[in-house]
Amino acid sequence: MPIEDTPLLYRAKRAAKVATHAEMKAAWRMMMKSLESAFAVVTLCVTLLGGSLAHAQSTGLSAEAIEKNRVANLKCFSCHEPAALEHPPQAGLDMKKLRAAVRDPDVFKGSDHGRLACTKCHNEGYDDFPHAEDAKDNTGTCTDCHSKKAAKIEEEFEQSVHAKRMADTFTCTNCHNPHLMRIAAKLADPKKIVDQDNRVCLGCHDSDETFAKYAPEKKERPPIDDIHSWLPNARMHWKAVRCVECHTPLSTEGISHVILDKTKAERKCVACHSANSALMVRLYRHLAKDEQQKYGFLNSVILSNSYVIGATRNQKLDYLVAALVALTFFGVLLHGLLRYIAKRLREKK
Amino acid sequence: MTERIYLLPLWLRLWHWTNAALILTLCATGVSLHFSRPGFVLIEFSWAVRIHNVAGVSLACLYAVFVVANAISGNWWQYVPKPPGILQRCWLQTRYYCWGVFKGEPEPFKITLETNFNALQALTYWAVIYMVLPITVVTGLIFLYPNFAPIEMFGMDGLLPVAILHYLSAVIILLFAIAHIYLGTMGTKVGSLFKTMITGWHEH
Repeated sequence: MPIEDTPLLYRAKRAAKVATHAEMKAAWRMMMKSLESAFAVVTLCVTLLGGSLAHAQSTGLSAEAIEKNRVANLKCFSCHEPAALEHPPQAGLDMKKLRAAVRDPDVFKGSDHGRLACTKCHNEGYDDFPHAEDAKDNTGTCTDCHSKKAAKIEEEFEQSVHAKRMADTFTCTNCHNPHLMRIAAKLADPKKIVDQDNRVCLGCHDSDETFAKYAPEKKERPPIDDIHSWLPNARMHWKAVRCVECHTPLSTEGISHVILDKTKAERKCVACHSANSALMVRLYRHLAKDEQQKYGFLNSVILSNSYVIGATRNQKLDYLVAALVALTFFGVLLHGLLRYIAKRLREKK
Repeated sequence: MTERIYLLPLWLRLWHWTNAALILTLCATGVSLHFSRPGFVLIEFSWAVRIHNVAGVSLACLYAVFVVANAISGNWWQYVPKPPGILQRCWLQTRYYCWGVFKGEPEPFKITLETNFNALQALTYWAVIYMVLPITVVTGLIFLYPNFAPIEMFGMDGLLPVAILHYLSAVIILLFAIAHIYLGTMGTKVGSLFKTMITGWHEH
């Protein structure tokens, strides 16, 4: 029963005036029920408040604003979702143009920007249809919101191989698709991080068609399988770790934006394949705080996804093995020495 | 004059020395991989991977050849621990290694054409060749083609149990190799058994 229908004091007073035993019991039950309802409402309020506070903290938006954006985005998606290609919502649409501007609403909702309104970035000239001719040119840029972060990234990017080869054409969105991407800390699962990030690099570097679209004229796509022939099981590495594990310098503040070419990229296997594995400050940095050397394994958080020779060793087992080898080696050495001494003694006799 | 018997045919000696070379290579590269860290360079990591892969596949092929050749030639019978009295023979051999050899006693069992190995040898060789080595070879091949490994086990990468089995079985082979090389010095002279293993002729 909703609490507004059971004014607590009124009913309690009324129950006290009407003196029959049955009515007193009924009034008592009602009062308890009302108390329960009140408690439930308070709990709900606290949960909602806490929830929206947490929400607001993670997205910078209130629950109401997120809902408002979602509803507003429905209008955009009525044309810009894949289903619209099959069943155009109105006649006379330029289907070729639309095909290039279609986004999956579910994928977008799951992305870091999924709680924002489309108009946050596509902000001028998109209110009406057909959209304004220069609408695309007025689309917001990453620095509009991420100015502080962008300043640091800009410095790093300047030293990147992409900046050297394609300074004028290369932008954040060449790699970071704002409709899809999630930051690694939110993805948390290393498999998902690798899948997302390597798709970005391999999208161009493993496809002649896409590479030609962005690369400088006459620049041929370097054959990545040949370049990585020195790396054992290269394609398997690309499923387990990100290209940027080797193609960025080690940084204390996450992954650097200085993308290194093959001449400067990491080529020492032991950087990752050792007890002090770089993976713990790269791909697994978000899980490193949970490291407890489970079952005695070094870097055991890596083991949830990959067995990395040299990095995910069990030290206790290694000590046991070393002791057994030493025991056998020195055992036979001692046996040999005793045999020699015994033989010399027999010869003397 | 010393008594000589032609004990080991050429194919067996070729198998033995190829097997030995491959196992030593695999041990050296395996140690380089398992204990890899900056500064410790027995064999550089990417080279160690390549050498280990080639030597590993060669060992797997050689093992298959050995099993077939052993079956065809009848040599497999030498490796079968044969009761009755096997425990007594093992005890006498152990006693010789722990005591008799220091006293200058002769070996309790002479090498003959019919019986190449003493009971302890037959038991150990049988266990290492037919029990432990197949584990190392099969787990090594899974390591080479990890798609055949289970995807996940106990919330960890499925390659982990494969890796541990590979490591432990390889360690048993290494321990065997150390003892085996040492016991090779216990012929009539220190080098006699090595000579037999090269020429095929055994001298009493």
